[in-house]
Amino acid sequence: MNPQELPPPPLPEPTEARAVPTPPVTPQEIPLPDQLDLKSLFEGLLRRPKDLIPKLGVPGHQAAGKLALLILVTFAMFGVVLGCFAKHEQLWAAPLKMSAGLLFSSFICFPSLYIFSALAGARMTVSQLAVCFAAALTVTGLLLLGFAPAIWIFAESSDSFGFIGALVLIIWLISLVFGFGFLRNAVKVSGGGQDGPMILWFGIFLLVTLQMSTSLRPILGRSDVFLTSEKRFFLQHWGMTMGTSLSPVEKVPTATTQAPEAGAPPVSTSVPSTGFRNPHVSE
Amino acid sequence: MGLFVAIKFPLLIGCTLICNALLNGLLGILLGMNLGFRQSFLALLTAFSLAALILGSLAPVTFLIAVNAPPPDAPEARIAHASYLVTHTLLVGFAGIVSNIHLHKILVAKAANRFAATVTLLAWLGGNGFLGAQFSWVLRPFFGSPSLKVQFLRDDPFDGNFYETVWKSIERISGGNGVPMLTAILIAIAASILISICEQPVRLPKP
Repeated sequence: MNPQELPPPPLPEPTEARAVPTPPVTPQEIPLPDQLDLKSLFEGLLRRPKDLIPKLGVPGHQAAGKLALLILVTFAMFGVVLGCFAKHEQLWAAPLKMSAGLLFSSFICFPSLYIFSALAGARMTVSQLAVCFAAALTVTGLLLLGFAPAIWIFAESSDSFGFIGALVLIIWLISLVFGFGFLRNAVKVSGGGQDGPMILWFGIFLLVTLQMSTSLRPILGRSDVFLTSEKRFFLQHWGMTMGTSLSPVEKVPTATTQAPEAGAPPVSTSVPSTGFRNPHVSE
Repeated sequence: MGLFVAIKFPLLIGCTLICNALLNGLLGILLGMNLGFRQSFLALLTAFSLAALILGSLAPVTFLIAVNAPPPDAPEARIAHASYLVTHTLLVGFAGIVSNIHLHKILVAKAANRFAATVTLLAWLGGNGFLGAQFSWVLRPFFGSPSLKVQFLRDDPFDGNFYETVWKSIERISGGNGVPMLTAILIAIAASILISICEQPVRLPKP
């Protein structure tokens, strides 16, 4: 037989020994489920926001109720910690004002959020944007909860409205920045390419929450009334009350004298009507 | 007093880590490190363990200093106490710096990029340092004072605030110019931390 007519030798078949081992699937590669439970919600919120955001646009994700509950719990617990500064009625009033103030601020700012996200180029429905907003507030609430032990330590150690107010303001700002980061991711994932409108909206939301804290005063301090009727801009309020403290002072404060506030929505103060911050501290 | 501090020093570290556990874990995830809560806690515990080892190894030296210090009722007791306080502050500061440099190396090895590791370290440092300082105030005294009696905790340990006390001291020292002096101190601290972190060699991954 002519060697040139011989068929070419067959190629060796791949054996198991030559098979390229597939790398193990990392937790980050496991897709999030369509129906989000609490564990996958936390995973998405903290580690994989870009995987979570498209899921929030699919009907049936069952995340809205869970996010609402998380927001309520985290902000209420933070409110309790703020209430520990003055104690007494603030232990229930502060969490109530925190939750209500945040809800009201969110309702006020949501229409502008939709418009500004559209200006940024996002293509989200109202319901998807609402859920993403709730997710962003959940991230904020989780961080506030993380800061809560530190706030509590200082609330138990200090009588100064200026110090506690500034501390809560800084923590509110830091937590809000992280929450806004999630919202910004949501806008980018949905096609938004511009940062300017969203940063502007963030500034508006921040101002609204700061003003809400003054409108809902007192939160850090004590007062005979649940809400004060006097209207005041938050910067003016901070300036008037920065140097005051929770302990009774020798100078008799007027009815309009208020204590400084922090950045969280329902944070506000007033001079206490009776006694020390801690009723167990002897005079 | 030695027994008291032997109980309070680990308590100080434990309280700081436990109170900030949630926050440290959240920051470890959100700042790009992708560390879990347990991993963040263990990383910080490793850093504190290293600091404890350094300080523990220096314990015989400081014991010698304490044994040779004059008694509290001696005329030079206040100077000796101040020297002892400054020496321990420097030693604790040194142990803290070394352990944080080591922690930064751990984070760099784990992080996707050096920036995430640095930001996470600074965030942890800020949070733990801020809270730890207040805990050190609550759990005082650690050194005591020649004019005060030895106590496990001062009366009303929650009365007062570390930062308010420091601020009043700065105001007193600067004669009312507390803000510029505080600004200068903070800039000096931040610069020293950043320089010590940035000077760490970058290890390239093996091919």
